[in-house]
Order: sequence, then C-alpha cells, then structure tokens
Amino acid sequence: MADMTADPLGTELGACARGDRQALKRIFDAEAGRLIAIAQRIVKRRDLAEEVVQDGFIAIWTKAHQYAPERGSARGWIHAIIRNRALNMLRDGNREDLLSEDAIQSLQEADQPESVLNAWAALDRTSRLRSCLEGLDQPKRQSILMAYVGGYSHGEIAGRLSLPLGTTKSWIRRGLASLRECMA
Amino acid sequence: MIDLTRPDAVADDYVLGLLEPGEMQIVEAELERNAALRRAVAQARERFLPLDMTAEPAEVSRALWTRIERNLQQQEPPEQRTEAEPIVANDNRSIQNAGFWRVTSFAGLTASLALAVALVWNLTRTAEPLVVAVLVNETGEVQAVVEDFGTERAVVRLLADVSVPRDRTMQVWTLPSKETGPVSMGLLPQARSARLAPPSLPTPKDAQLYEITLEPAGGSPTGRPTGPILAKGFAKVTR
Repeated sequence: MADMTADPLGTELGACARGDRQALKRIFDAEAGRLIAIAQRIVKRRDLAEEVVQDGFIAIWTKAHQYAPERGSARGWIHAIIRNRALNMLRDGNREDLLSEDAIQSLQEADQPESVLNAWAALDRTSRLRSCLEGLDQPKRQSILMAYVGGYSHGEIAGRLSLPLGTTKSWIRRGLASLRECMA
Repeated sequence: MIDLTRPDAVADDYVLGLLEPGEMQIVEAELERNAALRRAVAQARERFLPLDMTAEPAEVSRALWTRIERNLQQQEPPEQRTEAEPIVANDNRSIQNAGFWRVTSFAGLTASLALAVALVWNLTRTAEPLVVAVLVNETGEVQAVVEDFGTERAVVRLLADVSVPRDRTMQVWTLPSKETGPVSMGLLPQARSARLAPPSLPTPKDAQLYEITLEPAGGSPTGRPTGPILAKGFAKVTR
C-alpha cells in the first residue's frame, strides 16, 4: 500500500474498495466535471454524458477492489471506465440517433468535429504526446485524435476524411506504431 | 483480427476504442491473465491521458450525485458482491493463445460430446453434478470430462491418454468469474481420472470455463495457469 500514497486517487480507490462511500464522493467532487466533458466528446449529448458518468461511478465503486498500481495510474483506470462506457453507448446505438438535428448539421460542416480540434489546440505544448503527434503526417494525427477524443470508429474516420477504409486502418496502425516508438 | 503476439498494438486499439465488440471481450478476458497485455494497456492509457486533461470540466449538478447515491444503496456491500456474467461464454477462442482454438471445428464435435455426456450420466447416477464440462484439445478431440458438484467436490475423468513428462503435472482450473480469475481445482499427479477437492467456490454456472494445463510438478508456482492448455471446455448445467 505504501506506493499508493504517491497517487491520491489510488488511495481513494483503496478506500472505496473497503466500502468507504465518502471516498467515492471525494472522487466525484474532484473529477466528475472533467469526466462528463470526456464522455460528452464521445456521446455528444450532455444528458447522455451524465448517464455515462452516473453508471461509471457505480462501476468505479463495484470494481475499486480490482484496481492495482500495475494497472497504471488510478486516473488512467478511472478514465478508462468512463471512456469504455461512453464507447459502449455509442456502439450499442446508432451514432446518428444520439445526435440532435443541430449537432448533425454542425458535424457535417467540418471533417473534424470541434471537440477534436479543441483537444488538439489545448494539448499541453510541452508534453511528449504533443511533440510526437506533431511528428506524424496530418491525416495520421487527425485519425488518431478522432478515434481517441471523439470515439470515432475506423469506418466513421474513413467517411469523414473521404479515405478508403483499408487506407484509414493502415494509417492509424502505422501512426500508432510511430507514436509508441516516439514516446518510448 | 487481434494479434496477441503484439500486445502494444492490441493495447493501443483497445484504449482508442477501435476494436469490434467481440474483440474487445477477448481482450478483456485476456487481460485477466496476461501481464504483458495489462502492462501494455496501462502504458497506452498513460500515453493518451494528456488528451483527456484538455477537456474543460463541465458544471456538475447536485442531482447527479443524488442519483449515484440512490443507485449505490441498491448495491451489495463490496465484500459480498458476486459477478454474474460469464465473461468467456461461448467464445471458442482461447484466452491464453489466440490461435489455439480457431482450428477447432465445433460442429464436428456434437456426436462425441453427446457420447461423453451420456457416459457421464451413466457413471454418476447416484450423485448429480451441478455442471458438466466436456474438455477438448486444440483439434477438438474430447480429452476429459469435469463434473462439478459445487460443494468442494469435483470429478475429472480423462478420456484420452496424455503423456506427461516426469517433471510435470496436469492441473485442473476453472474461471468462476472475471474478478476471481482462474482458480485451481486440484492436480492430477497420476495423470488419470480423479476426485478433486477444490476450494469453496461460487456455485458453478452455465458456460463456466474449465481447463487442464500442464504445470511444473507440484502445481503452478504462481497459483495461475502458466503452462500449455491440454484441454478446455465450457460447463453445461445438468438438467
């Protein structure tokens, strides 16, 4: 347990695993706002993003005993729960069903949704991820950002970038390989 | 198609959400026992985390916590929680070695499975197992039948000759839930049919995984399967 003190969220997860609801509340107070925003980038609608976070916190509570530092940072683990729920919500339904008319229109105007552009614009300029993504060709970078930030599938990315599906897949694969190498 | 010999690439696709739902399930099952994949997923999450941190925190309504709290009341306390979903249900691909089961033609197995199950019925008229699992090897031949009686009692019947090296032992495993991971039911030191006294486990379920692996003499040093899978199969509830 000693090494978990370096990760305050990890300490809170440990308390959740022991049945301490106040610890879950503390995670909620500190993180819910950002988690809603992360989910909303994927599911687009605010009400659905809240639903993701609501279910996500129940999952964090029930799975807290599974968290161990070997699974990465507690933050990464918590974000993964939220991201997976948002992605499942998308994949279960038809993406277009999740969008209001306005949103569909605004999405059609740009090949990249605003949330993806904003994430790129706001990405810490001193971060390793930033400099490694900058080293990629534009379409590779764009595809990877669309997948991670917006939760777009291979097919959706290909459609938006007007590229054949096979090309899109291989660009993403090669882009991710370069990124791993760059960040290693 | 996921290639588990490249955990870094699989981890990236998993973390980015680029896998098909079926592939995602395989990766999640594999994560339970594959430390290299767990490490790769942890690293991939950390690599992309700075993008999450660019999300401008939204206003949080008080009502959201109230709804969460209400749902929490309906949850059992963490210690008594049981996991109901069979994670590897009907998935023919091995969770240890992706290529292992793909060659198996399960259609061709029906006859031998029926035979094996009938055999078990006849042998165990006096006591009724809760589940029966017919274990097959990678080419789909029936190797063994596990009858799990659920009360720390199970019987393994070997139906094929297996040559076991002197310094190795067959070990029987089951996967009661994703959370617990694989649990040893016992060893088959004589390489022949045996009664086992497994630890107290949740009541065996339909589609629960059973398998026999080849481990160092005395059993797996880690408490988890480490050796090759000799045979594997999913439980059927006896009716």
